[in-house]
Amino acid sequence: MTSTTSTPLSAAGRPQPSAARAGHRTRRRMRKDLLRSRIAAWSAVAVIGAFGLLPVYWLLATALSTPESTFQFPPKLIPTDLTLGNFTALAENDQLIKYMVNSLVVASVTAVLSVVVATYMGYSFSKFRYRGRRSLMHLVLASQMFPQALLLVTLYAVFSSFGMLNTYTALVLSFTTFTMPLCVWMLKGIFDTIPDALLEAAAIDGASRWRTLHSIVAPLAAPGMIAAGLFAFVRGWNDFIFALTLADKEKQTLPPGLVSTYIGEFQTAWPQLMAASLVVSVPVIVAFMFLQRYLVGGMTAGSVKS
Amino acid sequence: MTPSGISRRGALRMFGIGVLGAAGAGALGACAPSGAGSPSNGGDPKSKNFDFTSWSLNEEAAKPSIEKIIAAWEKAEKSKIRAVSYPYNEYLSQLTLKLGGGETTGAVHLDIAWLAAMAQMGKLADLGPVAGQGGYTDVALNSGVYDGKQYGLPWNTGSIGVIANSQLLEKAGIKEHPATVEEFEAALRELKGLGGGVVPYAAATKVAQLKDIFPWMQTFGCKLLDGGKVTIGDDASVDAVTWYKKLHDEKLIAADVDRFDARALFGQGKAAFYDDAIIGKGVTSAQSADKTLADAMQPMERPVLRAGDTPQALLWGGVIAIVKGKGQDAATEFALHTTTDRATTSEYFAARALPPSTTAGLAAPEVVKDTFTTEWTRKITRTATGSPFWQFAQNAQIEEAVAKQVQAVLVGRTKPKDAMRQAGEEAAALIKR
Repeated sequence: MTSTTSTPLSAAGRPQPSAARAGHRTRRRMRKDLLRSRIAAWSAVAVIGAFGLLPVYWLLATALSTPESTFQFPPKLIPTDLTLGNFTALAENDQLIKYMVNSLVVASVTAVLSVVVATYMGYSFSKFRYRGRRSLMHLVLASQMFPQALLLVTLYAVFSSFGMLNTYTALVLSFTTFTMPLCVWMLKGIFDTIPDALLEAAAIDGASRWRTLHSIVAPLAAPGMIAAGLFAFVRGWNDFIFALTLADKEKQTLPPGLVSTYIGEFQTAWPQLMAASLVVSVPVIVAFMFLQRYLVGGMTAGSVKS
Repeated sequence: MTPSGISRRGALRMFGIGVLGAAGAGALGACAPSGAGSPSNGGDPKSKNFDFTSWSLNEEAAKPSIEKIIAAWEKAEKSKIRAVSYPYNEYLSQLTLKLGGGETTGAVHLDIAWLAAMAQMGKLADLGPVAGQGGYTDVALNSGVYDGKQYGLPWNTGSIGVIANSQLLEKAGIKEHPATVEEFEAALRELKGLGGGVVPYAAATKVAQLKDIFPWMQTFGCKLLDGGKVTIGDDASVDAVTWYKKLHDEKLIAADVDRFDARALFGQGKAAFYDDAIIGKGVTSAQSADKTLADAMQPMERPVLRAGDTPQALLWGGVIAIVKGKGQDAATEFALHTTTDRATTSEYFAARALPPSTTAGLAAPEVVKDTFTTEWTRKITRTATGSPFWQFAQNAQIEEAVAKQVQAVLVGRTKPKDAMRQAGEEAAALIKR
C-alpha cells in the first residue's frame, strides 16, 4: 500500500532525501508487484495455452512421425524421426478425396438448408402470434432431447422405405434434424432483438411481409444467420454415426471414411490418421477464420433484449 | 392459471411434446427388426449376384487378399459380388440394423463372438447340409454353431492366449515356460528383478480389455455360467481376482493397460508376457523397432492352477454366415470355396498369417513350416473354448459389467468378494433381460 502522509520539503521545495528514497522504494515495490502479477498472468496463459494446444501439437507431431517412432515407449515429446510420407500418401488416396468432396457437399447443403428453414421458422415464432406457437417452439426443441440412436433408427427405417438410403438427400435431411432446432431458437432470439416498430414502419411504407423479411430483417440478422450456418456446417462436417449408417462407401463423409480407412480390428494407423485429421480440419479452421467475427456477434445477439 | 393448475398454453405444449413422443415411438416400432417373423431378406435365392459384407474389406492388411478372392470368384462364376464393409468397432450394430432392415443379403463375415446375436434375428441360413463337405476341424466347426445349428462356415479359427518373449525370459534365467500359476508368479518376480522398467506381464487392466480375466477365472475353477446360472461370485472367481490384485499391487502387472498398450510394451521389449490373438505376432512385431522380436515371440499355454489341469484360452476367429434370400445359393458356394479351397486358404494364410479352419488347410506345407502357427494351434487353440456369454445378445454389457468390478478391485475401491458378487448379480440381470 502507498503512503498517504505528507512528504517534508526542503527550502527549494524538493522532497528531502529520505522522502525521495521512500518514494523510490514505493515505486520499485509497485514495479515489482506489477512484474509479479504480469508473470503470474503470463504463466497462467502459458499453462492454459499449453493445455489447449498440446493435443494439436501431438496431432502434428504424430502426423510427421513414422509408425515405428509413434509407438516408442516412453513417448518422446519432440519426435526425431520425421517424415512427410503420411501427407503425400493422402494426396494419392482417391477414396479419401471422394470422402472429402462428399463432406463438403453435404455439410454445405445442410448449413444452407438449416439457415433457410430456421430463418422462416424463427421469424414466425418471433414476430407472429398464433395459437400453438409456443407448443410448436417447444416441440422443435424437444426433438433435441431424444437420443441420437433413437432418431437414427427411425430415420433409417423412413429412408429405407422411401428408397433414399445411400443418397446425399438422406444425409442432408438427417443432419438437418439435429442442426435445425438450435438454429431456429438462435435465430428467433436474434429476431426478437429487432424492434417491431421497424417492421411497422416498413408496412406503412408499403412493404409486404415477404419484402420486410428479405429486405429489412434478413440483412439485420445476417451475422446471426452466418453463425447458425457455421454451427450447422460444423455439426454436419463432424457427424460420424448418421453418415456411417445412412450412406454407403460412395456417399460417405470424412469421419466414417477416416475410421474405415485407418482404424482396423488389430491396428490403428495413427500417423496417417493424424495427417488426415489435420488436413480435413483445414476447411473448418478457414471457415472460422473468415466468419468468427459474425460467429461471436451472432451467438450473443439474442442474449440481451433492449 | 386455471383451477386445475394447468394453463391452456401449458396443456397445448405438453400435448405437442406428447405427439412427438408418440410419433417417435410409433416410428421406432415400425422399424423394429422383424426377427424370426420375417425369415428372409427377400430376393431370388438362385441369383448369381450377391453381397459380401466384411470389416476386413476396409483394412489395409486384409483388403487386397479378400478382393483377390472376390475377383477370382466373379471371373470363374460370371457373377457380381458387391463388397460392403463397416469399421470393426461399429460392425455389430450396423449389421444388426441393416440385417433387420432387409438391406443385407448374401455372405456375411462374422466374429465368432457375434454369431449368436446375429442368428437370433432369424435371418441366417442353416448351413448344416454343406458344412460336412468342408473338412473342417471339430473345434472350427463348433465355432459356427449356435443352438445346435450350423449358422457359420469357419474361415479362420484361432484363440486368444499368452505370448512370451523368449529373449527376456532367457535374460531372467527362465529356461522353461511356467506351467502353473505358482511357477508363473515366481517367473514374474524374476522378470521384475531385471529392472529397467520391465512390466513382467502386460495383462489387461483397463475396462476395454478386462474380459481377459475370464480365462483366469476359469483357470481358478469358475465356470462363469453353469446350467444357465451365472457363477461369477463363487470362491473360484474371487480367488482369481484376488490373485490378479496381488499381481497388480506387487507391480508384476501394470495399471491402465489395454491390448494396444500391451503390444506397445511388448514391442519395446518392456514386457515378457501378454495376451493376444494369434495374429498378435504380426501386429506387434510390425510396430516394433526390434526386427528380431518376431523370432523371440512364443505361444505359451496359460498356466494352470494344479499340474494336470486343462489350460484355458478363449476361442477366437471368424465365420462366414449366409443371409436367407437374394443370392443365398451362390453365396453359400462362395463361402464354402473361400473357407476350404486349399489354394485359396494357403494364399490367404500367406498374406495374413491367420490359421485355416480345415484339416487339409492346416496340413499345407506353408502352414506347417510356420512354427509359431503350429505351436499356437497345438498349445493354445487345442483347448480353447468360446465364452459362455456369447450366446446372449447382451454379451458386451456382461463383459463390461464384470470388467468394471474387476477394475474397482484393482484400484482398491472394493473388495474382491463384494465386487464379484456384484458382477455376478449384474450379469444375471442382463441375461434375464
